[in-house]
Amino acid sequence: MNNPQQPIPHNETERLAALRRYNILDTLPEDAFDDATRLVSYICGVPIAHISFIDENRQWFKSEIGIGVSELPREITFCRYTIMESEMLEIPDTHSNEIFKDDPNVTDGFKVRFYAGVPLTTPDGYNIGTICAVDHVTKKLDESQRNALNIVAKHVINQLELRTKNNELNAQKKIAERAVLAKDSFLANMSHEIRTPLNAVIGFTDLLAQTKLDIIQRDYIDSVQIAGENLLLIVNDILDLSKIESGNLAIEDQPFDLKKTLKHIYDLLKVKVPENVEFNLFLDADMPEIVVGDQGRLNQILVNLTGNALKFTQEGDVTVSVKKMEETDEHYLLRFSVKDTGIGIQEAKLKTIFDRFTQAEESTTRRFGGTGLGLNIVKQLVELHNSEIKVKSREGRGSEFFFTLAYKKASDIEIVPESFTGSNLGKLKILLCEDNVLNQKLVKSVIYNFGFELDIAEHGEAGIELLSKNEYDLILMDLQMPVKDGYQTTQYIRDEMKLTIPIIAMTAHSLVGEQELCYNMGMDAYVPKPFKQAALLETIKTVLNKDHKPAPKRKIDFSLIEEMACGNADFTKEMVHLFTEKIPIEIVLLNEAYKTNNSDTVRKLAHNMKSSFDIFLLADLSDCVSVIEEEAKNGSFTVKTREKMSILNCEIIEVVKVLKEL
Amino acid sequence: MLCNSYCFKTNTYAMRIILSEDNDILRKSLSFFLESKGFTVDQFSDGKDALDAIEATSYDLILTDINMPGKSGMEITQYVRQTIGSDIPIIIFTSSGVEQTELDSFDMGANEFMAKPVSPAVLLVRINKLLKTRA
Repeated sequence: MNNPQQPIPHNETERLAALRRYNILDTLPEDAFDDATRLVSYICGVPIAHISFIDENRQWFKSEIGIGVSELPREITFCRYTIMESEMLEIPDTHSNEIFKDDPNVTDGFKVRFYAGVPLTTPDGYNIGTICAVDHVTKKLDESQRNALNIVAKHVINQLELRTKNNELNAQKKIAERAVLAKDSFLANMSHEIRTPLNAVIGFTDLLAQTKLDIIQRDYIDSVQIAGENLLLIVNDILDLSKIESGNLAIEDQPFDLKKTLKHIYDLLKVKVPENVEFNLFLDADMPEIVVGDQGRLNQILVNLTGNALKFTQEGDVTVSVKKMEETDEHYLLRFSVKDTGIGIQEAKLKTIFDRFTQAEESTTRRFGGTGLGLNIVKQLVELHNSEIKVKSREGRGSEFFFTLAYKKASDIEIVPESFTGSNLGKLKILLCEDNVLNQKLVKSVIYNFGFELDIAEHGEAGIELLSKNEYDLILMDLQMPVKDGYQTTQYIRDEMKLTIPIIAMTAHSLVGEQELCYNMGMDAYVPKPFKQAALLETIKTVLNKDHKPAPKRKIDFSLIEEMACGNADFTKEMVHLFTEKIPIEIVLLNEAYKTNNSDTVRKLAHNMKSSFDIFLLADLSDCVSVIEEEAKNGSFTVKTREKMSILNCEIIEVVKVLKEL
Repeated sequence: MLCNSYCFKTNTYAMRIILSEDNDILRKSLSFFLESKGFTVDQFSDGKDALDAIEATSYDLILTDINMPGKSGMEITQYVRQTIGSDIPIIIFTSSGVEQTELDSFDMGANEFMAKPVSPAVLLVRINKLLKTRA
């Protein structure tokens, strides 16, 4: 080297900072850069070309042809000179250049004879790297080659900028997605909290409407009722949506009367039909009456779609039709359609109408009201049925929403004949277990309205006492109460008192699994709060009408034990046997230890039982013992353990029974 | 299959694993699974017994639960690493969801940590990986 002093740009510190900002060093090859390198090689007709970046002590190649290494020490590169320049550095013949003629890259190594390098200059003016053409023979670039090389250099910098912006956008996107998630869970919690007092508002308004009122008062009450119902619809929409999103919404499999459901929807919406609109319900002649599926969700889907159709149609007709598409031994495939001659949807909006908070027209919310959640919920509900909703529409001509659902056929036993009418229920004596005074008052008024008698117990213990003294026809049971909750009380009534009196659970939770738990505990029916008077009466009729329906049987998942058994059925059987032998003994020991407050033994037993439950994928039981183990570890048991113990006791009997029947 | 080169069914020498777990259903199931995959498995429900066996026998891999009567999986790991001074691969599994437990396990010198419920397929992959690294 003639010049032992290494060239360093005057703005080296800022230059390095600029380079770091792009996060480009030591990244994987990218097509955009490789293409640019190839382009340089073609344009200049050289065997060696590269795009490189220079940090404190090395030249790192983002892309290269004919070099074969990923980096070189900075002090032996040509490009350390190029980044000192503001324009292209071109050396037609290194042998006649004073600085480079003795350079090791010229005398041996790469045998560089020709070099042309353009600095890669950032928009704020820092040379962070180079794009170069190199050859083993002498060469001179013509004007258009030089221009082209400069243009490619600009493109490389643009590519870098784009890349950085993309990374930033991705990071922002992640933040936004997290925020949406947080918002959803906040909404779910809020909606739930709002529903409880709203329940009371609607219930008491209902009652107030049934008292003697003058015309003005009647008008006010009507307004309050409508407002309350609308508010409840919105809150329910939000709650539904968050439940769907969190995967907490399950599609039920219960037999129901399809024709009746559709007629009910028709009757419900008939009142909303505008004057010049004809509202039709067309049912296929050979459409089945009873199917197995989720009545409530079908109701929700159709009410939503039909409600929309009626809202957006001023003239013409709105038609709900159901057609049987296919019938197999086990299933019906039905096509549901809601068609209108309303305002229609612009073609451009068709794709987004199912998105949240989107309505076909910006002004829709102002003109027609609504949350903008309805169609999104409908779409997701249809998808939960493993189907897809489709829409056809012409602006100004009308729309059709349609989807097909597969329903299981009902076996004959499942169809419960309805022989009861409201009038012959007589004077029922009902016991309510409920701690909330407001709810007590509400239920009391409703039950009196039905013409029944009601006794109130403010917790399970008091309920049991009343039950042992008096005769009742039916119990309404809140789930969360002090002293003895709804589950424990039910368990006591069924197991200790050996009573088969119908019990209806009432709860504001309406979460997946809760309903099942109620049935498993021996309750007969389930009314979610806020309850409608008609729904409560219907449920009371149903439970009094039928014999005790056996609780839905638990299904046990053998996939894990079968995986471990590697297909050996005998081994699986042996493990099932071991489980049914040892778990009943362990639960007895666990109960004993819990009663004597021996937390150390409880902890050890719970821990050991957890592994047994896990093998048969009994997640609910495994969770129970986890909670119990955790509390035992802390040395003191709260109501949580008590609750889990009672679930455990109940469920183990069921599980062992199912396993033994195999 | 991932385990192609490490399925020992046809080999004359099978890899020998010691399994200590106090829940008998889980222990028997895991043993059955691993034996089906060609390993020889010695099973113990008591940590102390397991440790005695480790001292007396030459194993290729230790598979242990943490919470056990006799000696805990942590104690076994500590003893193997510090007192015996062996670098035999150790896999610890536990139903504890506490992060510290996992950190402690690695601190003690465990090679792998698995939260229960243990997926047999994943366990097999990890065992094979550890045995392969050593081979």
